[in-house]
Amino acid sequence: MRGARHGTMNALQRIAAAAMSRDLCGFVVPGAEIARAVGIDLGDAGLRLSTTPRHANVLVVIGRLPAGLLDAASVVYAQMPRPRAILTLGTNDISPLPVPDATGPLTQAGLEAAIADIRRIFAMAAFQPDVENFEAPTLETSTEYTCPMHPEVVQEAPGNCPKCGMTLVERETAGSAHRGHAVPEQKREVAAQKHSKPVAVCHDRSKGGHSADGDNHEQHKTHGSGHKQHHMRAKPDSTEAPLQYTCPMHPEVVSDEAGSCPKCGMHLVPVAEAGGHSGHDHKAHGKAHDEHSTDNHRGGHGGHGGSERVEGVEAHFMSMVDLTRDMPASADGLKMEWIDVPFGPFFPGLPGGLQLKLTLDGDAVATTSADSLVGSSDPLPANPSSPIEFVDHLAALSPLSPVAYRLLACLALEKAAGQSVAPDIARARLAVVERERVASHLGWLAVFGAQSGSSWIEKRAAAFQLKVQGAAATDVTTLKPKISTFLAKLQRTPLLAARLSGIGQLLANDTLSGPVARASGMASDTRSDDPVYAEIGFSVLTMTDGDALARLVQRCNEITQSLDLISAVGSVARLEPHSIGAASGTGEAVVETPRGAARLSLTLHKGKVIAADIKTPTTAHLALIGDVAEGQELGDALTGIGSLDISPWEVTS
Amino acid sequence: MTPQMIFLMFFGGAAVWFGIVVFRTLSMVRSALALLFSQTAVGVMFLLMQAEFLGVLQIMMMATEMSVMAIFMVMFMMDPGGMGAMDMTHQKRLSLWAGGIGFVAALAVIWLADWGPANLQIPDATEQTAELGRELLGRSMFIFESAALMILTAMVAATMVAIHPSEGRKR
Amino acid sequence: MTVLIVLVALAVGAYLVAVLESWAVHGRLEPARPAISALALLGRESLLARTPDRLFFEAGPVVLLLAGLLAVAVIPLAPGLIVTDLATGALFLNAALAYVLVALIMAGWGPNGAYAMIGGWRFLGQFVAYAMLIVMPITAVAMRAESLSTVDIVTSQSTLWNIAYQPLGFVLFVAAAMGLCWLPPLDLPTARGDLAGGIEAEYTGARLAVLRLARMVLIMALAGATVTFYLGGWLGPWLPAWAWSAIKILFVAGLMVSVGRLVPRVREAQYLEISWKLGIPLALANIFLVGVITLVVPI
Repeated sequence: MRGARHGTMNALQRIAAAAMSRDLCGFVVPGAEIARAVGIDLGDAGLRLSTTPRHANVLVVIGRLPAGLLDAASVVYAQMPRPRAILTLGTNDISPLPVPDATGPLTQAGLEAAIADIRRIFAMAAFQPDVENFEAPTLETSTEYTCPMHPEVVQEAPGNCPKCGMTLVERETAGSAHRGHAVPEQKREVAAQKHSKPVAVCHDRSKGGHSADGDNHEQHKTHGSGHKQHHMRAKPDSTEAPLQYTCPMHPEVVSDEAGSCPKCGMHLVPVAEAGGHSGHDHKAHGKAHDEHSTDNHRGGHGGHGGSERVEGVEAHFMSMVDLTRDMPASADGLKMEWIDVPFGPFFPGLPGGLQLKLTLDGDAVATTSADSLVGSSDPLPANPSSPIEFVDHLAALSPLSPVAYRLLACLALEKAAGQSVAPDIARARLAVVERERVASHLGWLAVFGAQSGSSWIEKRAAAFQLKVQGAAATDVTTLKPKISTFLAKLQRTPLLAARLSGIGQLLANDTLSGPVARASGMASDTRSDDPVYAEIGFSVLTMTDGDALARLVQRCNEITQSLDLISAVGSVARLEPHSIGAASGTGEAVVETPRGAARLSLTLHKGKVIAADIKTPTTAHLALIGDVAEGQELGDALTGIGSLDISPWEVTS
Repeated sequence: MTPQMIFLMFFGGAAVWFGIVVFRTLSMVRSALALLFSQTAVGVMFLLMQAEFLGVLQIMMMATEMSVMAIFMVMFMMDPGGMGAMDMTHQKRLSLWAGGIGFVAALAVIWLADWGPANLQIPDATEQTAELGRELLGRSMFIFESAALMILTAMVAATMVAIHPSEGRKR
Repeated sequence: MTVLIVLVALAVGAYLVAVLESWAVHGRLEPARPAISALALLGRESLLARTPDRLFFEAGPVVLLLAGLLAVAVIPLAPGLIVTDLATGALFLNAALAYVLVALIMAGWGPNGAYAMIGGWRFLGQFVAYAMLIVMPITAVAMRAESLSTVDIVTSQSTLWNIAYQPLGFVLFVAAAMGLCWLPPLDLPTARGDLAGGIEAEYTGARLAVLRLARMVLIMALAGATVTFYLGGWLGPWLPAWAWSAIKILFVAGLMVSVGRLVPRVREAQYLEISWKLGIPLALANIFLVGVITLVVPI
């Protein structure tokens, strides 16, 4: 066992190992929703899921992961306390992670067998005298230098800030892009930014010959008595007084000449500006300002003209008003408490693979940046492919709704080849897509339940999702009343409306599609153009509020509607692409996936797909994250982002 | 020397030590919590001197007050974690003089004041609490009520001052 | 001796509540689960975050445990079965619980991680929301008993339990108690979907075991306080006094750990809004009502 803890298996450790083998706590990558989408029930296999790698002892890898996600997973693995194990399903190739301790096919039976293996390994080998180290390659750090006051200033070499002249502060940074959920190193960096954010570090102590503690004696010799200078500053009524400079951070540093502070390296500012607000003599104060208003060499610090002055707020040395003048201010007016926090790609309550970087202002989100680590740029397989390969490839691109994309590929191929399908097949296809919509929306409800801490919603929705996936039409019909009861009870949950209403409100606009658009009152549904849907009496459902609550209710209503549609059709069929032959041509198709309308246009050349272009709803929705989250409290922001039902897999560049 | 006196000295020493730590640490949170533990030690001294209600009240109130102070220091100070080793002291000479004079004055009061004979008939805790209640709601009521009103005014005023800059920005 | 009995009772109670909580979370009743989990936790590495505030990181869980134990010290389980019957017991309970906040700030600040830090400060931000609703209902309880001693408070309910005498105070107190031990739906400092464990996120191994034990002790202390203040403590017919205490405390603790799983987490802003705008006025009204009843109707 590679992730064993150092030690020997004596009696005590045997007991601990036996306990650990019965208390498996899994951290799932890319996420539990992917496991459910492929029909695997992790809880049923006896695995408890952890919200943080710190509390997990098994890393569960579901399916093949893109390289970016593997890097992030290796960070997660590095964070897990020993003894730790890796369990992979449906893949063996997980470099840079170490070789898995147990592996199995991507099925429930495969998971159960692998878990039994893991239990055995834990019981036998949780403690080993010799253990290997594991260093995640992404965690190799490099040193960079940044200004405590201007975080945008980042340099590779030490020096002074070009904006304010402060000595740059050393910090470690991850070797490559920020990745990983709750990466300790990143978090350390993040927190270090918080702790040291506006730090005036006196790294360059040789400069002024002072230690950080301030060798007062020497200081007096160099700069004169700070105390005395305070007295001089208290009398600025004589405008003829020689101009003196002081440090905004260290008022005891006073010099007759402009220059930099021997303690922290900041540019010295003229006395009156740095905080020489002359007691209550406003006239002198104003004069001092006139006198220095031309002095702008400090790049903004200090230089406050009379207009910016807030009456009654005195600018003293170390004044936050002076020092934070150019820093971005948030809605509450408080500056200097911004921290950058990574959320994802394995954050509980967000879809796996979604990398969010939030700049938090206290507990509120100031800015966001979202990125998909699993999105694919090309809908085409590497080389010109046969239609079957193309269909499989496109379905594999979106593990959260493979059927809809499979259908999309089939439709486009048939269009290109000029074929048409029999009505009964078209209806069976409709049913299979609707079934996936039900499963997908239930899966979203499970994620919502996990995010909002309502475990019964999570459990029930997940159980229904697993039952609906792959169920025959008759089974779906028997499930229908149970699901309807669940949905009705769900919508009556106390505190649910209070939690969701008003969150992430979106006005109707063209970037929205799918349930998000329909919840904002847009009757945008490509199914309404489809004669097969019209035949069985489909009508577009909409809500008006456009907030997270409306989106939840919209999805619940769509589940019920889709269940009705499946009952009306009465059969579901597996989607098989027709034989295309050696046809050539171009075709376009659109399918209303569970997340909105996806469009595909492709070119066939002698039976091979040579070009394809896909537009997915999620790509546009990813850009909505800023609208939904910025200015909100962290919890509300994440609820809003969750309510968009983003599938990072469908993001195309 | 009774055990009570030994404990009293121990917690007195702890109060002073934590008071020193407040200024010795660079971390704002540590500083605030050191002040808390200094005050908690004073509360324990109350308990040892059999002023149960006052001791418990001191221990309770300080926990929350110092925690609130901690977050304000984190919000407003430049280097809340103390990781930048930034020197935030100023006006050292003035402070030293002020502190020294205050210390001497306190010592003078302690030694020169006539504290009267020690009260050996300490009422039990229930009686103390009842007497404190009568005092607070009787003779001292006006003082405490006006103090409460002043604190309320100060809170409202502080809030007004705090929101003023953002009002200015809106214009 | 009394201390030993109370500690054993606390351990047994905490274990049973842990079983209940595990059942509420995972849907399976496994009596051995807390023991297995604890052993497994002790067997794991206890990692130290990089550049932590080591002192706070280590002290956080311990301070929390001490606060919980001190709160338990003034809870009577039967006549004479109380660690210390302070004349200011009800106030002492508040003082002990105030250090829960201190412990969480330490645990949040110590590991030098963003999620933990936000969790710790969140708990401070909610302080008035729960602390006022702990203190003010206790005031009304003490008014009726005309004493701050927890034993006197129990005996004052011999004719009518406070849950009937001042139901408003009971509801407010239980809600605030759940906020104080961050149980769902008020689990904002550890919120799984927002903060991925928050203050717990960086604790592993033995330190995490201490943190979880401390929280369980805190839950027991607050359930005990609820029983003492509102459910007549050890009072009850037929069964011995200690049995009544045990039944009531386990019932209240079980209710507290399980009821929140059915509803989504409360939004932070709404929690504050409800507590300040609704809870505090109601608590004041409760004090007023109890004052009037105490003076007018001798029960």
